[in-house]
Amino acid sequence: MAANHTTHSEEPAKRHKHEGPRKHIVAYIFSMLLTLVAFATVIGGEINASFTYILLLVMAVLQVIIQMGFWMHMKDRGHLFPIVGILTGVFVVFTIVIMAEYWTWW
Amino acid sequence: MAHAHPVKRYTGLMDWLTTVDHKKIGILYLIAGGFFFLIGGLEALLIRVQLWKPLNDFVGADTYNELLTMHGTTMIFLAAMPVIFAMMNAIVPLQIGARDVAFPFLNALGFWTFLFGGLLLNLSWIAQAVPDAGWTSYLPLASPTYSTHKGVDYYVLGLQIAGIGTLIGGINFLVTIINMRAPGMSFMRMPMFTWTVFITSALILFAFPALTVGLVALMFDRLFSANFFEVSGGGNTVLWEHIFWIFGHPEVYILILPAFGIISEVISTFSRKRLFGYSSMVFATVLIGFLGFMVWAHHMFTVGLGPVANALFSIATMLIAVPTGIKIFNWIFTMWGGSIKFTAANLFAVGFVPTFVMGGVTGVMLAAAPADFQYHDSYFVVAHFHYVIVGGLVLGLFAGLHYWWPKMFGRMLNEGLAKLTFWTFFIGFHLTFFVQHFLGLLGMPRRVWTYLDGLGFNTMNLISTIGAFLMGVGTILFIINIIVTAAKPKTAGDDPWEDGRTLEWSIPSPAPEYNFAQTPLVRGYDALWKEKMDGNDAMTPAEPIGPIHMPSPSILPFLMSLGLFIAGYGFMYAENEWTGIMHDLFASHAVAGAGLLITLGCMVVRSLKDDHGFHIEPDEITGKGVKA
Amino acid sequence: MSAHSHLDGQLPHEPERATLEGRNKVLGFWLFLGGETVLFGTLFSAFLALRDQVGDGNPTSQELFKLSLVAIATVLLLTSSLTSVFAIQAMHRNQVKSMQLWLIVTVVLGLGFLGLEIYEFFHYVHEGHKFSTSAFSSSFYTLVGFHGAHVLFGIVWISLLIGQVYRKGLTVVTAPKVYVAGMYWHFIDVVWVFIFTVVYLMGKVG
Repeated sequence: MAANHTTHSEEPAKRHKHEGPRKHIVAYIFSMLLTLVAFATVIGGEINASFTYILLLVMAVLQVIIQMGFWMHMKDRGHLFPIVGILTGVFVVFTIVIMAEYWTWW
Repeated sequence: MAHAHPVKRYTGLMDWLTTVDHKKIGILYLIAGGFFFLIGGLEALLIRVQLWKPLNDFVGADTYNELLTMHGTTMIFLAAMPVIFAMMNAIVPLQIGARDVAFPFLNALGFWTFLFGGLLLNLSWIAQAVPDAGWTSYLPLASPTYSTHKGVDYYVLGLQIAGIGTLIGGINFLVTIINMRAPGMSFMRMPMFTWTVFITSALILFAFPALTVGLVALMFDRLFSANFFEVSGGGNTVLWEHIFWIFGHPEVYILILPAFGIISEVISTFSRKRLFGYSSMVFATVLIGFLGFMVWAHHMFTVGLGPVANALFSIATMLIAVPTGIKIFNWIFTMWGGSIKFTAANLFAVGFVPTFVMGGVTGVMLAAAPADFQYHDSYFVVAHFHYVIVGGLVLGLFAGLHYWWPKMFGRMLNEGLAKLTFWTFFIGFHLTFFVQHFLGLLGMPRRVWTYLDGLGFNTMNLISTIGAFLMGVGTILFIINIIVTAAKPKTAGDDPWEDGRTLEWSIPSPAPEYNFAQTPLVRGYDALWKEKMDGNDAMTPAEPIGPIHMPSPSILPFLMSLGLFIAGYGFMYAENEWTGIMHDLFASHAVAGAGLLITLGCMVVRSLKDDHGFHIEPDEITGKGVKA
Repeated sequence: MSAHSHLDGQLPHEPERATLEGRNKVLGFWLFLGGETVLFGTLFSAFLALRDQVGDGNPTSQELFKLSLVAIATVLLLTSSLTSVFAIQAMHRNQVKSMQLWLIVTVVLGLGFLGLEIYEFFHYVHEGHKFSTSAFSSSFYTLVGFHGAHVLFGIVWISLLIGQVYRKGLTVVTAPKVYVAGMYWHFIDVVWVFIFTVVYLMGKVG
């Protein structure tokens, strides 16, 4: 019924059929490592603050890519509208964060 | 495949309380929105009576503050939005060739939460604790320190509950438009109204959560002594302004875009011409939606954000004039060379164009930050936003209602009365608000309950008040028209305007419960018009006639919303000066808890109980539908 | 069109997308998460704007936060995200028992996280960091509390789904519900990644 039904239903069943847990365990280890690096950077406390901030944010963004790309299947086909939806949300959040950082106190 | 499940079909009141049919929900939205429109209009008239002469004492300053707050809040959230949702529900599924919306149950839930939120807000009049901090509810005016009665609590909780409904509606229409289009109905073949609803729904989805957070923070400040906006606790009142307008500016486009869509449909139909520049119209709509998120601080030029911020927001705001201008020219070019019929619907649409241009021009004037320091908080601003919201949105809604009335109710509105409605409302509108530009330039501040003699305000305020009453007369004429029409038999044909271009005109009026007996095959833009031009008298079906699956009616949406309503009251009156059992019930949060329990319990029931729906068999597929 | 066309035969691959209703549900939930992104983004912004407004004599974020506790909570939640992936994989293989088992593990890990958070809040209140102490404390509790409430909602939701699948089995009606609950759980995890980064770690840096 949907005009874009080809994106879902006619996908051959053999694509990611019985996809094993290995890929996800690797992703999990990666996300643990990213967490470890983030915590270690802060607990170590040797690096200057602004560099730490950037590092922490990069770690967080990488984590999100793992979570949303692999675990929420955003990288798979047929996810155009989910991607557009989430990215629009992120864009709006971006403007709100700029507001909070620059335009509330002066 | 078609195993029949026995489903209880309700009649009468229960039918309306339990309906999940988008066409009936559309009618419910229209009734509720119309009701709040009358309340908001009454408040407006009281405001204008107070201001008709200098130093009038018709209402006191306090009452005036309450009136202006409730007028703004009611008109935006409880009148304009629901009537837009009425049009969306009544028309969008028909325009895309869908049998239903994506989430019929949630659709009903959205309506009932809106209605209960609106009732909660308006019961403040009965409780004699009316919101009085303006529809923007700026801090510290709305803080617990300066607003000690429960008025602002009504505002916060009422809007919070109504906002949930709006958000649900937005998601429903996004998914409906993405997933439920008929075969061949590609995005670039969608009617313009559907496109604008699509973008409006996206704006709702991304703007309303910001309001939710703002209202939660304000509620926490007021009910649980938080410090978000409490300066003594380190809070920041400008933060509220930002959050409010990050929601509030997209809200303006949420309101106006569907009107753009309606105008596009009406002008194109009654010019008997394809909409000029369809793809540029789509592009302009998307661009307006996108830019709408980057201009909020133009409401805050005088806060003192600094030259960089003011310049950025000034430029971004002026940029919006470009896609809007594209639209204006496209409407004019659509009419150019067309065989124009001035039906009442088209009168509203044609009247819209110059009126909205005037609102747009003052918008660009206000966008110039240095000049805004002069206009700010004066009647110039009042004139501007009434030109875009009344002269834009309300004229658009009137056009849409007159245009789609036969499709919604199966009866044509009386054209003579409708034209009279247009002329009284249109002239009344310009009388009311045109002079307010000059009142503002002369320095009359907005939101002040009276003014002194000898400032040169008297005559123009009198004109403005007379105009407001003329608008009231126009509205009454519209209601008379509805009553007169309702007494007549349902005689409207499938395509009562004879020039229908889009799919909703290919099915009976009013649309049957299942909309399309057979899902149509769409072969181009203006699908029905294309078939007409190819000499076909009907759409080509995309499927054979078969049993049609329908969702079952349910009382749960009503109960869930009732639960939220009770919970709202519970939280609000947890601190009260009553005595006895009522005091204990509210103070212990028993009432609030019970309300939440009702809502959550209904959610659990909904999840556990499968909705098998029912089937309409081929032999039942005949004749007309919605009885209203 | 019908929701029941697949009921009689074999459960299809990716049962959550087998019906239009299922596809609607998944897409609608994605869009809802887009809105939730803005909701949490606004909460984060309020926190960012107010995080230095501690007030005289009140504990600052450096004095307050116990990173060890946060680290344990993080491990619990990240692991629960992985177990929910396993549950969805089991669902795709039509192994109902295994799916339920992984969902139970997810819920237990979620409960552990919630327990730690409640303990943490009690500890902070004891330290003089109450909800109404300062703008910092209000925005902190609202942001982290909103996330905690989401975790709680997820726990109740997934628990109910486990029971529902136990009674009705895995069908094209129940499968989308499980899938969507899994998405929700991942999203909660994503929000937590930003909470431990922005609130705790950056708060510790100062």
